[in-house]
Amino acid sequence: MATTQSAPTLTFPRPIFAALSPSPFLQAHLAPKNPIRANARAPTEFRKPGLNTGSLTHCNGSAVVRLGNTTVVCGVRAEVLRAEDVPQPIDPKADEEDDVEEIDTLRLLVPNVELSTGSTPTFLPGQAPSTFAQSLITRIRSLLLSTRLVRAKDLRIMYTPPRTTEDEDEEVQPEVKAYWTLYIDTMFISLDGDAFDAAWGAILAALRNTMLPASDWDQDLEMVLCDDDVKKARKLELRGLPVAATFAVFQGEEDEEGEDRSWVLSDPDAFEEGVCRESVTIVVDGKKGSGKIRRIEKSGGTVVGREVMKGLIRRSEERWEEWNAVLKG
Amino acid sequence: MAPSATLSHLHRPDGSATYTHNGYCIIGAVNGPIEVLRRDELAEEATVEVNVRMAVGVGSPKERHLETVLTNTLRGIILTRRMPRCLVQITLQVHSSAEEHTSLGSKFNSNLLLLPHLLHTSLLSLLSASIPLSTTLTSSLVATTPTSPGPVISPTAQSFLRHPPTALHVFTFSGDRKLLLSESEGTFDHEQWDEACEAAEEVCCKVSGGVEIGEGMEVEGVDENLEEWLRRVVREKVEGEQRWKGAS
Repeated sequence: MATTQSAPTLTFPRPIFAALSPSPFLQAHLAPKNPIRANARAPTEFRKPGLNTGSLTHCNGSAVVRLGNTTVVCGVRAEVLRAEDVPQPIDPKADEEDDVEEIDTLRLLVPNVELSTGSTPTFLPGQAPSTFAQSLITRIRSLLLSTRLVRAKDLRIMYTPPRTTEDEDEEVQPEVKAYWTLYIDTMFISLDGDAFDAAWGAILAALRNTMLPASDWDQDLEMVLCDDDVKKARKLELRGLPVAATFAVFQGEEDEEGEDRSWVLSDPDAFEEGVCRESVTIVVDGKKGSGKIRRIEKSGGTVVGREVMKGLIRRSEERWEEWNAVLKG
Repeated sequence: MAPSATLSHLHRPDGSATYTHNGYCIIGAVNGPIEVLRRDELAEEATVEVNVRMAVGVGSPKERHLETVLTNTLRGIILTRRMPRCLVQITLQVHSSAEEHTSLGSKFNSNLLLLPHLLHTSLLSLLSASIPLSTTLTSSLVATTPTSPGPVISPTAQSFLRHPPTALHVFTFSGDRKLLLSESEGTFDHEQWDEACEAAEEVCCKVSGGVEIGEGMEVEGVDENLEEWLRRVVREKVEGEQRWKGAS
């Protein structure tokens, strides 16, 4: 009989509570005095990056980066672009620091991101790149260019023609015969939030790991010849070490006093990204005090103002030290 | 120089606006609330879809990124919960853009130069379509240059050639002076960012000496901030539509 049964108490196991009402679930975790997120991290705690370089044999440089359950593989392949195939040649500028135009117009850096690998249920394998993937590629490409990470000098293959006259004083100008084009392919093996940080960390590690073979222009064969010898291969000289840190802002329900409660969560996972509307990405280069900011991206809400941003920049600088230790260690 | 705008000039869409500023001209059209594709339907709120079309060429990942940023920002100010299972479709066609920035394009992502104009156009179109909004927004481009002591507000493409900036910022403020969007790139530190933010806040929504905004004080020129400009544009449109009342 229905009347004799007591009303069932409304208790759910954790996963069902999270799936049914994700926002109150996260707020229930964050509301106490010492907030602990659903993934057992403190709000300001990042996931420790795990790094493995040089694992792919057919790449010039490669890296596997793990941030919790987000795993990214990045491989850098170098291919030769002959200068004569360039429709509008660009003369290298006198100022070696001003070489972005050369890299940009010749498309010497080609980043690509592959999310449709079964990394997450939202992106089915075999589908066209989603809006999210396209947006990610744009951000990575524009960050690669605006931080001027790779030097055009490293990518040029020069040739000094032999002297044609006996004149000792005649200056022989070396000329650019070809370029190395770096194809930076990033594959997500699994995605659990914070795709940008993981992808950027992997790209950074892979570029630091990249070795370009010693190459020379052969005048008789009219082609670029590369040396097999690993000892003669050289590394890329990168400019600085820009590190990205992403934050998500969680806006909970109003509390008893009618005040909006909000938390800024470092390094959000997929569940938190699903609940949070506002996100901030800060790219810093250098540790606290001497560090420069290379990029700030913030959209989606009004919680992070000038005061909060100050704290986030400090948190990003702390994150830089973590990545610095991992990348250089 | 204040931007110029025309509202509700297209007849087919629910709302439209053309916006011209600093050599950029953008046409915006808004349809909504309309029926949404099953795939995009949200049970509790409206879906916001932004389409950006460039003046030349086909769409590229760059436009997808701009669309993502615009969607994130506009979703926050449209009262989407009032229109569940609906679609608000915003189409922005760049009619002409200051082509001079191609020289700067490689150094800075030219998306930043376009972003404030796209935001203004979409807001005006939304207003013209009478989509319920929680607040308005105003946006400004700020450049940090090594040659000038302070930040430069909404620099033109020509001024980039004379004074190449070290950093570019876009700030967007809501009607209640809260920071809605901030995109910066280049090399800068926190003080410079803070200065730029303050300068942008001033040009977007500075409180002008106790005079109630929209009280018929027609302030033309440099003193007018972007919020007042926005109110003036909408007021002029409404006055135009109310002409039949006064004419009798």
